[in-house]
Amino acid sequence: MFVVEGALVYSNLLALLSIGLTITYITTGVPNFAQGSFALFGSYTALTLLHTLKIHPYASVPLAFAVGGLAGVAVYALALKPLVKREASIVTLMIATLAVDLILLGIFGAYSDFLEGLTGKSAKKFIFTSYDFSIFGFKTILLFSTFAILLLLASLSALFYRTKFGIALRASMENPELAEVMGVNVARTRTFSWFLSGALASTAGCFLPFRQEIVPLTGSLIIVSIFAASIVGGITSIYGSVLGSYIVGFSESLLTFIISLAFGQILVYSRVISLIMMLIALVLAPKGLAGVVKKKWSIYS
Amino acid sequence: MLQIKGLNAGYRELHILFDVNATIDRGITAFLGPNGSGKSTLLKSIFGLTTIYSGKITYNGKDITGIPPHKKTRMGISYLPQVDNVFPNLSVRENLIIAGYTLEKSELKERIDAVLTIFPELERLMSRKAGVLSGGERQFLAIASSLIRNADVLMLDEPTAHLSAEVSSQVFSKIADLRDKLNLKIAIVEQNIHGVLEISDRANFMVGGRIVFSGKPQELLERLAPANE
Repeated sequence: MFVVEGALVYSNLLALLSIGLTITYITTGVPNFAQGSFALFGSYTALTLLHTLKIHPYASVPLAFAVGGLAGVAVYALALKPLVKREASIVTLMIATLAVDLILLGIFGAYSDFLEGLTGKSAKKFIFTSYDFSIFGFKTILLFSTFAILLLLASLSALFYRTKFGIALRASMENPELAEVMGVNVARTRTFSWFLSGALASTAGCFLPFRQEIVPLTGSLIIVSIFAASIVGGITSIYGSVLGSYIVGFSESLLTFIISLAFGQILVYSRVISLIMMLIALVLAPKGLAGVVKKKWSIYS
Repeated sequence: MLQIKGLNAGYRELHILFDVNATIDRGITAFLGPNGSGKSTLLKSIFGLTTIYSGKITYNGKDITGIPPHKKTRMGISYLPQVDNVFPNLSVRENLIIAGYTLEKSELKERIDAVLTIFPELERLMSRKAGVLSGGERQFLAIASSLIRNADVLMLDEPTAHLSAEVSSQVFSKIADLRDKLNLKIAIVEQNIHGVLEISDRANFMVGGRIVFSGKPQELLERLAPANE
């Protein structure tokens, strides 16, 4: 039961991260390799508030959301928007986000040193499990992360299908030139998508230390699973990425656990499962599960 | 009135239009010419979708040369691209909503109702995705979308491309209706010379990125007649 709970929490967080990756990929064509590091904005916001103001990490979520959102906008405006405007190739954009990832790694490393010096408490390696509690026998992280993903899906659905701005977002994703012709300020919808992506990653990052130990390198490690989730689900489908997150999240957690029972300690290699799933998806269904489902529907239509 | 003076434009380093002068006033102004003559580039340049090297575009006396497309839309200038002119994954209703993105909610509802009286065939298709419409229905939706924005200038890039002769004739007749009922300034780029000249008030003929004829449609037809014989 403990393993299943852990798998569900991990999948919830992976979904928050991969939805953000998918949104920015659809709107700006940028495969963001720094998405994992965006999560650390949330982790370090929560740690800073905990160590300096004794604020519980769960209470840091709104601030983490805002900080991550602003970080997403800053990275887009300063590093990526000029490249997108110059119609840079996807390889250039990938390299740019890898550079951003390394810069963020340096920034989080330096910040953790600074925070350790300021508070005298460990910031280079930290975990929040001791701050978690239970409600009705369930770990709060399980309830909160599940609630967060359900709230997010309901909000996204309302935004995309019930508001004019949401329809404009979908239109900008589908055909930015035509959306501009219709009077939509596409630059604004793209900036919003980077805010949303950064905010969701940072929210996931606020929850992540309740599940695993955080180090400045965590973002660069988790990016493998985020990409696997997006690609397995279909990198151009938001709901596909959610489905991919649960498949990758559960496979990574449960398969690793089952194999480790048979062959001993292999937990450190859990990312290999994500990579294998990603490769299988790329070979057998390059458009991911969303592509498979769409194809099946088109047969019946 | 929309005026183009000494326009040189293209795509980055690819120079397509050379010293183009034209006027788009009330009624239908046709831009004709062989493939690659720069007709579509001219409409795109007016709308701000190309690189402008020199020249000036004015609308009612105001210089609009460097103004981005979404701001031109707000000024009442509408552009209908040749292909991909609707959002296939959005429903007909959503396409009309996004077409009126710049309008207030109450005005948008009024405009959609008004446009549906011009295009009653769209009413029964409102919840259908644009991607499943027929070629004619899709073109009607595209034209309806450009009308939602209370357009004063309507620029149509090959509105009858890939349509059958019968549907093309329906589209031309609808465009002529729009001119008569709404008193619009309409610019049309077309390959279907006879179809468009029948409804046009002025005609321009382009070759190699330059306007080589500007005058009455009948005069152009007469000049083109020996070539067509």
